[in-house]
Amino acid sequence: MKITQHSSANTLTLSLDGELDASSSVLLDSELAKPETLQFEKVLINCRNLNYISSAGLGVFISHLQQFQDAGVKLVFFNMQDKVHNVFEILGLDALMTIVPSETEATAL
Amino acid sequence: MSFRHRLKAILFPLSLFSWLLLLLSTLSNTQGKAADWLGGPWPTWVTLAAQALFAASVFVYQRGRTEPLVGNDFVGLMRRLVLGPGMLATVCVGLHLVERALQYQLPTNDRTLLAVIYTINLGFFVVFLANTNYSWRSLVLFRARPRIQREWVWFEVLLGSTLLFRLLDWVPPHPFDYLILGFLAIFGVYLSGNQQWVAYLSRRQKWEAVLLQIAILLSMAVFVSYFLRIEHDPKLVAPAPQQAFLLLTVFFAGFYALMGLLVTLFNLPTAGIFEQKREEILSLQRLTQLIQRGQSEEEVYTMLFDSAVQTVDADAAWITLEDESSTRQAQHYRVLPEQTAAVHQLLQEHNLQHIEYLNNDLKSSSGFRDLNLPYGSLIVMPLRSAKRRYGSLYMLKLARQGFDRENLSILQTFASQTVLSIENLNLMNVSLENQRVQEELKIASAVQDSLIPKNLPIDSWFDISSYAASAKEVGGDFYDFLHLPGRRLAILIGDVSGKGVTAAFHVAQMKGIFHALMQENPLAKSERDKFPVPSRFMAQANHALARCLEKSAFITASLYIIDYENGGFVFARAGHCHTLYYHSIKEEVSYFQTAGLGLGIIRNETYEKHIKNQFYDYNPGDVMVIYTDGIVEARNAAQEEYGEERLHQMLEKTYYLDADEIKEQILTDLAQFSFGQPMHDDQTLLVVKFKSAQPGSAN
Repeated sequence: MKITQHSSANTLTLSLDGELDASSSVLLDSELAKPETLQFEKVLINCRNLNYISSAGLGVFISHLQQFQDAGVKLVFFNMQDKVHNVFEILGLDALMTIVPSETEATAL
Repeated sequence: MSFRHRLKAILFPLSLFSWLLLLLSTLSNTQGKAADWLGGPWPTWVTLAAQALFAASVFVYQRGRTEPLVGNDFVGLMRRLVLGPGMLATVCVGLHLVERALQYQLPTNDRTLLAVIYTINLGFFVVFLANTNYSWRSLVLFRARPRIQREWVWFEVLLGSTLLFRLLDWVPPHPFDYLILGFLAIFGVYLSGNQQWVAYLSRRQKWEAVLLQIAILLSMAVFVSYFLRIEHDPKLVAPAPQQAFLLLTVFFAGFYALMGLLVTLFNLPTAGIFEQKREEILSLQRLTQLIQRGQSEEEVYTMLFDSAVQTVDADAAWITLEDESSTRQAQHYRVLPEQTAAVHQLLQEHNLQHIEYLNNDLKSSSGFRDLNLPYGSLIVMPLRSAKRRYGSLYMLKLARQGFDRENLSILQTFASQTVLSIENLNLMNVSLENQRVQEELKIASAVQDSLIPKNLPIDSWFDISSYAASAKEVGGDFYDFLHLPGRRLAILIGDVSGKGVTAAFHVAQMKGIFHALMQENPLAKSERDKFPVPSRFMAQANHALARCLEKSAFITASLYIIDYENGGFVFARAGHCHTLYYHSIKEEVSYFQTAGLGLGIIRNETYEKHIKNQFYDYNPGDVMVIYTDGIVEARNAAQEEYGEERLHQMLEKTYYLDADEIKEQILTDLAQFSFGQPMHDDQTLLVVKFKSAQPGSAN
């Protein structure tokens, strides 16, 4: 799992590369738990190279979800592979989280 | 009896006989009464032959006796030699003195007495030489290579052939006799070089060996001087003892004793070192044995400390032990706390505490001079492994240049041995602890196993088959059944995120929640409201879990309530895998596509908005496949997932079979798909097949 981050004025983009499993979700968690993350208006998650997400990986997003909402930070996923989208959908997360097809739409939100 | 045995048996009588013959033949030459009685002088060859025969039989007899060296008891061997045959020298001197005294008291010209005593002494000397020779043989051949053993046999053969010369009364022409003698003498000197045994003596034994070798040399000197003296006695009747054999044997025995003496003597100063090395090896052995006995850490350190102090002969020493937070002094020897503190501080200032440090001249290093300690040398030996530091060993000596390279290397060995012991002990403790945890997990696994329903509900309206497997000892998957009044059956299936013991706790919790919520509500107005509908159940379960589920954990579940009186069912899906269904009327397999959020994701009242009920009227022959994600996410060697599509196809192929057979076919296909791959997640699979009404049942 590789996490690359890129930030502009009010947007933080995290690109996830590889499999988000129990061990790599710790990395992601520490990334999202940073206080400065909540300073942004939007946190975009680029899922183009995210091949797999385990329940631990989902747990990381779920655990930060409430915090992001309270702080008024928008969490947006884009470029999600069908396989991964299916996992979000089954769990019902597609109704809670913003998942859009591409970066253009993500930035436009 | 073989020839060898027979020869052995006659050797002793033969030696006695030949000695008697020698005596008689000597006496026949004395011109006294005995000579008259014996019939005048016998020919010289008889005396010579008797002499040669006697020497040969004594040597061969001695050769065949049991090995005089017992184990490594070199000193015992020499002591027996000195106290046994060596004493013959005293007897020889005694007899000689008696003869001289008698000669003085009764001056006669009779040579009988002198001849008898001479012959007796000659016998003694030969016995002594034979004994000495074969004792030396044991020493020469001690741990000798086969080459040396062969060379020794040659030496014996050559010495024996000189006896033969004597027997034939033939002496090689002049320079050759010296050449042959010289050659044999050099051969003897060469063999005397084999003195390995000296290395095996302790200091004390070396001293004893030196004294005993001097005693043997003295005995030999006594004999030799007797024979040299008697040679010039005008009354001597025996042929001049110009016997090459005896000469060579004396030379060899004497030279070997002398070489041994010198080697032992030169080895004396190093004996202490040898003993020290021996002590080091023993300490190391003791230290090693402690590992196997599995004693406590404290004992290992004590052992290290004692062995180290003893081995390097330190004048003061201490050991400090470290753990994560503190450093403490565990052992000390002739040193005051303030001294150790001062040394620590000084080393810390120079950052030398945790490295191997040897200072053999403390008095000239300014830091130590200021401490005003009486010591001249210091070694600091850290106890550490690749992973962590355990402490340090400090050794002090009063003298400068007190420690050498060997001290340092033996301390290194001690330190690494100790660290090894400690790590072994720790590993053993860890493995014991692991074993305990394993045991507890086994119990947890058994407890969890008891939570899985063993008896599947049986009714004429449907047919259920189940399968569950955990990836670890305890799992996060669960399913349960509950019969409700009015011919209804509740089926719960679910999966707790994460694995292991935490997940197992939540499984137990879910089961408790299921049984608690599925209780009849006596206040309900209608019959149907007595039990919560699945969506209501999920909302209540979510509420119950909200407070106890950790933040990143969630649970997926599906609850089905089958009403087989009315041929329908209602279910809600809380983020759990979609239900696969075979519709017998439409002859079609499909997934129920319903929305529904997992439990524990939203922990407030809004959750209820995210969960829906789905009603369906089933027909006989319909098949419902309920499973957890461990089934569809099982991977093959190419890391592809089994997937909903494959499961779909499997049901299309098998829907007409019994629930049990459908389940088996799916599992077989799954096993083939993921062959050789480890199981990543728990797997649960339930197959429900609705049947047509049995005759006589309500419908």
